Amino acid sequence: MDFSSVFSNLILGFTVAMSAQNLLYCFIGCLLGTLIGVLPGIGPVATIAMLLPITFNLPPIPALIMLAGIYYGASYGGSTTAILVNLPGESSSVVTCIDGYQMGRQGRAGPALAIAALGSFFAGCVGTVLIALFGPPLAELAFEFGAAEYFSMMVLGLIAAVVLASGSLVKAVGMIIIGLLGGLVGTDVNSGIARYSFGVSELSDGIGFVSVAMGMFGFGEIISNLGQTSETKNIEVSKVHSLMPTWEDIKVSIGPIMRGTAIGTVFGILPGSHTVIASFSSYTLEKKLAKDPSRFGKGAIEGVAGPEAANNASAQTCFIPLLTLGIPTGAVMALMVGAMTIQGIAPGPQVMTQKPDLFWGMIASMWIGNLMLVILNLPLIGMWVQFLKIPYRVLFPSILLFIAIGAYSINNSPFEVYMAALFGFFGYYASKWGCEAAPLILGFVLGPLMEENLRRAMLISRGDPSVFFTRPISLGMLLVSFALLLMVVMPQFQKKREILAEADD
Amino acid sequence: MAFQNRDRKDFNAGVLYIAIGGFFAGFATNYPMGTAVRMGPAYFPTILGGLLIFLGLILLFRSLGATDAELPTKTHWRPLLCIIGAACLFAALIGTAGMVIAAAVMMLMGAFGGWDFRWKEQLIGMVVMPAVCTGIFYYGLGLPFKLFPWS
Repeated sequence: MDFSSVFSNLILGFTVAMSAQNLLYCFIGCLLGTLIGVLPGIGPVATIAMLLPITFNLPPIPALIMLAGIYYGASYGGSTTAILVNLPGESSSVVTCIDGYQMGRQGRAGPALAIAALGSFFAGCVGTVLIALFGPPLAELAFEFGAAEYFSMMVLGLIAAVVLASGSLVKAVGMIIIGLLGGLVGTDVNSGIARYSFGVSELSDGIGFVSVAMGMFGFGEIISNLGQTSETKNIEVSKVHSLMPTWEDIKVSIGPIMRGTAIGTVFGILPGSHTVIASFSSYTLEKKLAKDPSRFGKGAIEGVAGPEAANNASAQTCFIPLLTLGIPTGAVMALMVGAMTIQGIAPGPQVMTQKPDLFWGMIASMWIGNLMLVILNLPLIGMWVQFLKIPYRVLFPSILLFIAIGAYSINNSPFEVYMAALFGFFGYYASKWGCEAAPLILGFVLGPLMEENLRRAMLISRGDPSVFFTRPISLGMLLVSFALLLMVVMPQFQKKREILAEADD
Repeated sequence: MAFQNRDRKDFNAGVLYIAIGGFFAGFATNYPMGTAVRMGPAYFPTILGGLLIFLGLILLFRSLGATDAELPTKTHWRPLLCIIGAACLFAALIGTAGMVIAAAVMMLMGAFGGWDFRWKEQLIGMVVMPAVCTGIFYYGLGLPFKLFPWS
């Protein structure tokens, strides 16, 4: 590992990240991320989908910095509501509710919030260093990849994403395929033939994945929120006295934070719903390792420190496969791939060599963003709590409007709004029947890429399909995919997935 | 096979998959298949469509044998129709009536889909939000849309 080049690359990154525009957009991203993390009923996926059309008008670096900030910012915001109000503002904060809220009830909300923020910051720092150290060698590896390897890697990515997530495997794979097929609508690059456009000229450009994402995640989330019986009334907010944790708190939290960071790093790189799995695993681990496990559930600070570090670590490291290999490992990453494509950047290892300012700038800005978030979250807690008082019934028509304007502004055409509405409707029933939206978006983004690589691999091998199995890296990836599929059938794994499925509800 | 034993979620999903798979594979016949070496536009969609049909069949068979299956939760028509309707209204109106009116109308329709509809709150929102959006999107970001029927 060449430390001097890592160092000089980081310097480059910080120089890029500290430009006024990039700092501004980093701040906006973190602010928005905290806001939507605090507000239940709207999450990072829907927000990123809504903001994608806006990124058309921005240069690539600030656009991606802002979107990334929304993602890891949401995990900070979510812990605030989890601790103060027992409401998880976003999925990974569910675990923080358990002990965090209890600490709040005991008058210790301040230390809980402080440890959550500091633990997250530590994890963020470690995550940044890891990307800086391991990114370049990984990208080097990826340069060895040919079309066959890319195809197999996408297969692996898609399969791993559904295997590690919750829900019926058959239905999830089906949703991936529907996504792949949807992504194929439009003009086929090789032959020039417009597929599945039925004479509708907007369709011959393809179905914009942004509209699909906005429809399924944006409209879909609103519809399902409104479908719940009624709004939660009587939100009791725990008072925050002092933010200072005691020395005892800090001593006890060091271990969980370290372990949480490690867990989060691993799960971030693997496909799946990174932050949720990471935080749950950390909680389980800490409970097992604790001298007195009965304290958990009653305000054990380890139950806050570990999961918070884990979910932040995973939110950072999940960018690694994206920035080095160009493969999205979850719904948010799929949207980021989309954002890069919109900007004309083909995701892959060449991003690091052709656009080092983008790569290193993003890494540096993620660290800066973490710093901003600690500052945003701790002193400004009172302000965030005020936002919680806005009832959803007042909020959601505005969210609806933002989604509609966003969809319209893609092509200045109402067609995209109709598409979003269509996918919102489709998504509603699909999820009623147990078919999740995230695999579909993954498939949608990867569909054209997979087909291109499949074609190229077959062209190079002159029609010999065994090429996927004879090339070692490709074979390795396909074997892992197969192994993962087998694992799902095994009973022990079934139980873990059920636990995750319940957590997601 | 008594219908009570049917896992309706799986059954519906299965039918959906078969329908979509059939749609894509079926229409793919309009395009050239090509060979494995030079894949035509129909190649990948046909494979995928076929796979999807296969998965749909698995779900169908699974559903017919199910013993203890929960029914899908009932459809909440009001939010569904109001939100989707609001979006379609926006799409229909923006070309002719302009963004401000389209926005106000869609917010109203969307709000009907929520609980506890209060006229005062929604009316304020219908005035404030289109103004805010005009500020952010039209002036701030320079997006070109028609604001009013007469512009």
